[in-house]
Amino acid sequence: MTSTGEAWAFWILATVAVVTALVLLLARKAVHAAFGMAASMVALGAIFLAQQAPFLGVVHVFVYSGAVMMLFLFVVMLVGVDHADSLVETLPGQRFWSTVLALGLAALLMTGIGRVNYTGTADLSAVNADPGNVPAMAGLIFGRYVWVFEITSLLLITAAMAGMVLAQRQRLTPKATQREWSERRIRSNTHVAGLPNPGVYARHNAVDTPALQPDGSISALSINRTLKARGQVASPVEHVEAEERIQREITEGRTR
Amino acid sequence: MTPVYTLAAAQVVTEVQPTVDASGAASWAWLLVALPLLGAAIILLGGRSANRWGPTLANVMSWGAFGLGAAILIEMLGRAGDERAQSLHLWQWFTGGSFEVNAGMLVDQLSISFVMLVTFVGSLIHVYSLGYMEHDPDKGRFFGYLNLFIAAMLTLVLADSYVLLFLGWEGVGLASYLLIGFWYQRSDYASAANKAFIVNRVGDMALAIGIAMMFVTFGSADYSTVHGGAAGAPEWALTAIGLLLLGAACGKSAQFPLQSWLGDAMAGPTPVSALIHAATMVTAGVYLIVRSNAIFDLAPTARLVVTIVGAITLLLGAFIGMAKDDIKKALAASTMSQIGYMMLAAGLGPVGYVFAIFHLLTHGFFKAGMFLGAGSVMHAMNDQVNMRRFGRLSGVLKHTWWTFGLGWLAIIGFPGLSGWWSKDKIIEAAFVGEGWQPWVFGLVTMLGAGLTAFYMSRLFFMTFHGSGKRWTEDVHPHESPLVMTVPMMILAVGSLALGAILTAVKFPEWLAPVTNGGHLEHHEPVLAIPAIQILTFVLMAAGVFVAWRLYWKADVPVVAPEGSALTQAARTDFYQDDVNEAVFVGPLMTTATGLVEADDQIVDGGARNLGDGVAGLSRVLRRAQTGFVRSYALTMLAGVVAVLGALWVMN
Amino acid sequence: MNQEFTMVEINYWAIAPLLVVVAGALIGVLVEAFVARASRHNVQLGVGLVTYLAALVVLLAKSRTEHGLTMGGSVVIDGPSVFLMAVILCFALLSLLVMAERFGGPAADAFTPMGAATPGSDLERSAESAGWGTTEAVPLMMISVVGMMLFVSSGDLLTMFVALEVLSLPLYVLTGLARRRRLLSQEAALKYFLLGSFSSAFFLFGAALLYGYAGSVDIARIALAIGAASPVLDGLLLPGVALVLIGLLFKVGAVPFHAWTPDAYQGAPTPVTGFMAAATKIAAFGAILRLAYVGLSGNRWDWEPALIAIAALTMVIGAVMTVTQTDVKRLLAYSSIAHAGFILVAVMSFDVTGVSGAMFYLVCYGFTTIAAFALVTLVRHEGSEATDLSQWAGLGRRSPVVAGAFAICLLAFAGIPLTSGFTAKFAAFAPAISHGGAAGAWLVVIGVLASAVTAYVYFRIIVTMFFEEGAGDVVAITPSTLTTIAIAIGLVLTILLGVLPGPVLEAATQSAQFLR
Repeated sequence: MTSTGEAWAFWILATVAVVTALVLLLARKAVHAAFGMAASMVALGAIFLAQQAPFLGVVHVFVYSGAVMMLFLFVVMLVGVDHADSLVETLPGQRFWSTVLALGLAALLMTGIGRVNYTGTADLSAVNADPGNVPAMAGLIFGRYVWVFEITSLLLITAAMAGMVLAQRQRLTPKATQREWSERRIRSNTHVAGLPNPGVYARHNAVDTPALQPDGSISALSINRTLKARGQVASPVEHVEAEERIQREITEGRTR
Repeated sequence: MTPVYTLAAAQVVTEVQPTVDASGAASWAWLLVALPLLGAAIILLGGRSANRWGPTLANVMSWGAFGLGAAILIEMLGRAGDERAQSLHLWQWFTGGSFEVNAGMLVDQLSISFVMLVTFVGSLIHVYSLGYMEHDPDKGRFFGYLNLFIAAMLTLVLADSYVLLFLGWEGVGLASYLLIGFWYQRSDYASAANKAFIVNRVGDMALAIGIAMMFVTFGSADYSTVHGGAAGAPEWALTAIGLLLLGAACGKSAQFPLQSWLGDAMAGPTPVSALIHAATMVTAGVYLIVRSNAIFDLAPTARLVVTIVGAITLLLGAFIGMAKDDIKKALAASTMSQIGYMMLAAGLGPVGYVFAIFHLLTHGFFKAGMFLGAGSVMHAMNDQVNMRRFGRLSGVLKHTWWTFGLGWLAIIGFPGLSGWWSKDKIIEAAFVGEGWQPWVFGLVTMLGAGLTAFYMSRLFFMTFHGSGKRWTEDVHPHESPLVMTVPMMILAVGSLALGAILTAVKFPEWLAPVTNGGHLEHHEPVLAIPAIQILTFVLMAAGVFVAWRLYWKADVPVVAPEGSALTQAARTDFYQDDVNEAVFVGPLMTTATGLVEADDQIVDGGARNLGDGVAGLSRVLRRAQTGFVRSYALTMLAGVVAVLGALWVMN
Repeated sequence: MNQEFTMVEINYWAIAPLLVVVAGALIGVLVEAFVARASRHNVQLGVGLVTYLAALVVLLAKSRTEHGLTMGGSVVIDGPSVFLMAVILCFALLSLLVMAERFGGPAADAFTPMGAATPGSDLERSAESAGWGTTEAVPLMMISVVGMMLFVSSGDLLTMFVALEVLSLPLYVLTGLARRRRLLSQEAALKYFLLGSFSSAFFLFGAALLYGYAGSVDIARIALAIGAASPVLDGLLLPGVALVLIGLLFKVGAVPFHAWTPDAYQGAPTPVTGFMAAATKIAAFGAILRLAYVGLSGNRWDWEPALIAIAALTMVIGAVMTVTQTDVKRLLAYSSIAHAGFILVAVMSFDVTGVSGAMFYLVCYGFTTIAAFALVTLVRHEGSEATDLSQWAGLGRRSPVVAGAFAICLLAFAGIPLTSGFTAKFAAFAPAISHGGAAGAWLVVIGVLASAVTAYVYFRIIVTMFFEEGAGDVVAITPSTLTTIAIAIGLVLTILLGVLPGPVLEAATQSAQFLR
């Protein structure tokens, strides 16, 4: 039978794991989702610990919350922290039926699993004593399930190749050096002095803010095209307005 | 699987003719199929160059098959009675689980009769096509298809199991489909070929399910096992199998309610109509029923349904034949009606099987002859088919006229000609029995004889005789070349004499071991035979007379020329015809037109609606395929919940 | 520590074919790294061919007789697994020949020059003009083949799951590598991946429930546990069975888990589609057969009704949906769904003849399918595949050989006698009739009706090809010798298995007995 303490621990941790998993699913922002996943994995790791499987519990936390989540966060940072997906549902009935069916599935599984009754005590202490928690696992991984373990490596190879095939943009031509760039500019007589810098304002100075041209219009060329593609270009209007305000204060103050 | 019902389980009603291993010429029977098949393969793979040598090769192959068939027949005639049925094991086709299907051939009296019909008429039509298709740019392909058809048809009749028969069944369907659509430039083609295809599928499906039922019931689909075990099987199973076989036969033989495709199939070249849609393929349904006599003998209900279907089709075909002006469609309706006779005869059971086949053989000759004649007429008239545009062709197309005339006399059952020998036997057989059946079926067949006489005479008079030439201006009729007329002459000789010859050589008695367990019993009709013969003759004469009044003596009303003196003189007759029409022909014609319309509306509509229904369902289901992955996932989830829910409820 | 570590018994001859393909795949990966780009295509093709042939030889020469469990029970070498592995290798060999088609260009024609390049970008264009190609497809396919071979021979649910992933992951990638209509291809890959993961999750969850029920993931132990029947744990059994089977049914494209099929089939490079249709189906059915016949047959009365309903639904919906399709690849996708239903009918007979019937069907269907998709790659309009049915009008007269060959494939799909389709349908339906009881008979009736519907569709295509006038600019291009060989083998077997199915059917019957 499960001890009371273990039961308490299970229900608390399980609740945390499920709720944070739902956060992963429903959060609008990638960072929140990442947090939800990390928390869920930690809770699961703790459940393993409570089940007398310390190695598994710790590895679980290490691998998922440590390694995988870090990679995930790197990606999130590269993509842009404030990048949020549109969650507007366009298909009629999709939300409703998803909810209904998900709840139905949960209900069906629970009615089945809820009827189950295990007898006897689940206790790993004998195994943990001899041969020990880690050796026992090693015995399974390198013994009975060695074939599965080895074959899993093919998944990693596939993943690596898939990454290469789908994401690696190889250059077909050598990258132009700065010298070549300037030669090209002069030869074509366009932007001989280089493209304009981003905007530099009294109160603001950033790469995402376009520069103003002498006539007051915005110079589109002054912004990196990656930022432009991501739609992360800041509008210089507020800075210009502030400047105009100062200007006005100065001139008005003079006339006043 | 051990057969559920074993041979010895119950009393055996019909003796199944025992077979011996094939020897002599019959051991070469596989060549009957192989020769034309080889021809088809060579020609169809030969591409464009086959247009030069293909026709000759196809003829050689077809005549070769005929020669071999004749050799087998002659050798069979020389054998003792109990050694005539020979089985030829080819190879073990496949074993599906515990079922074993062997590819083998059964060469017996029934199949050799068909072999002779198919190869002889087929070869004649090959010859005829040399002339008919001479200027067609794709004639190589045409002859390839023709050979393919011969091979498939011979497979059908020589098979020793229902599975192999099914192969031939599909093969002739394919060949027919390809040939109906041979002139795909014609716009009306697509719907015709498609209709033929859909309707035939219904029949094929019935056959497939029937074969499946045979496997369930007998553990095999060999003729020997099925027919041998039929006595031990429960009647409901036999009735079900019988009805399914009937369904198959209805599809292939254009019987009610699956008759609608045959008229449209006339879109194909005329030699095809003659060979496939008159003489051979469409009679496959009759073959199937007669071949399965062991089943039908023990399933009286199924047999009764066969008879009723035959009777309905017989009359329906006759009425349609009266209403059609298209010469080929009128002939097609007549084919339908004549096959109705055969089905009716086959449904009568042991008294009718042999006469069904007898009529089938004679019909094969005279109907093929008439179709070839129709082709010759069309050839002469710039491919027109409207009989109201013919008339008085007898003078121009002498050979066509007399050959067609013999066919006409044969089909209306003029005493002494081949149709009379076979059709009268069917009418007599229809009058055999007890209760209401002999009277109903007997009178139907008799009435059918009168109607046949009317519409065939109408066709014949409108085309070759009548008071005037109603030709369109641009036609200059001329007789077809000898290569076309000689086959017609040979078939005309068949129309004249085949019935008498087959009667003289005691064909029914010869065939009886296959169909009737060896002994042909004679039954007395409820009406005296001379009375039947006289009544039939009177009805026939009446039919011819009415047609003569309407379509020979009188102008054909629709295209009555105006103003000429001749027309003025004809006017008086015309009034009389009006009366005739109002009193006698009118109601008949109204019925006929009505039936034709009903046929178009209900049966075609049914086929169309079925197709539309499937397509509509498909369109509705297609909406589920939105392209959104989350909606797909939702479908999957719904499936999971449904499966789990259903299992939960059930347990 | 007084418990010594014991190594599992490894019968190297039994798993040698798998190891050969793994080795081939790894060599293929190394080729990508070390061989000059210009010669990669040929080298990869050589490696692939040699690998498959060598694996086939090893399988037939040595592993065939090594019946038994090995690797601690993870791998089962028995009749069905040897048969199915051999067939998978044959399919892979043929598919590779088609995939390697270059049509005279520098790289495989079906695959994108650079998967990472934005569709339609300058980079993609310059990669194309530089003659680049995705030669990684060959090792990816080999990995997938390993997964398939393992899938049909796995002795426990864990191995089965890993095999499922090993076979699926490369296919997801391959789906996204079409040279033309890149966006469609990428979308298809993503859909396939997402839905595949979804179904994998169901499989895994079911496997976990079954582990909870039986205390083991071994299929044999699960069978024992079901036989011993412990009512307290019953709540785990049925959901576990259902979810595991659902995971597998997804792979065969059974309704309602079929939604990915048309999109993935349409988007994937056509030779890959052929490979997926033929080989994935056989692998998944191998696993279904093993689970249903060995592991879960003890309580089949409980879950059989659901599978019967799914089989019926699959046949009907697959057939009906073919009617309104206008794209050849989508049409063949729905036809493959219908065929999955037909095979399920054989599975539902629960007799050893059902195993051989299903296996024979898979063989017949696979060869025809590979040939059919290979023929689809040949029909071109302005250089890219003309997959819209209206574009096929009149093809029979411009390219009679290609159209004729395709017509043979269609006749086989329709189940016309003298083609493999007929004998296959017979082999699949016969056991259902003799052993499937009333449900089996009803399934056969539905199957016959469904095949009548699909036959109508196939004949309509034949009519379109041969009897309709079409625009003259859609032509069939001449393939290289390798593709021609693949197509010819497919067609010859389509006919041969229809006329003389004896040897293969005999082999299937001989190898239909599962090791329990």
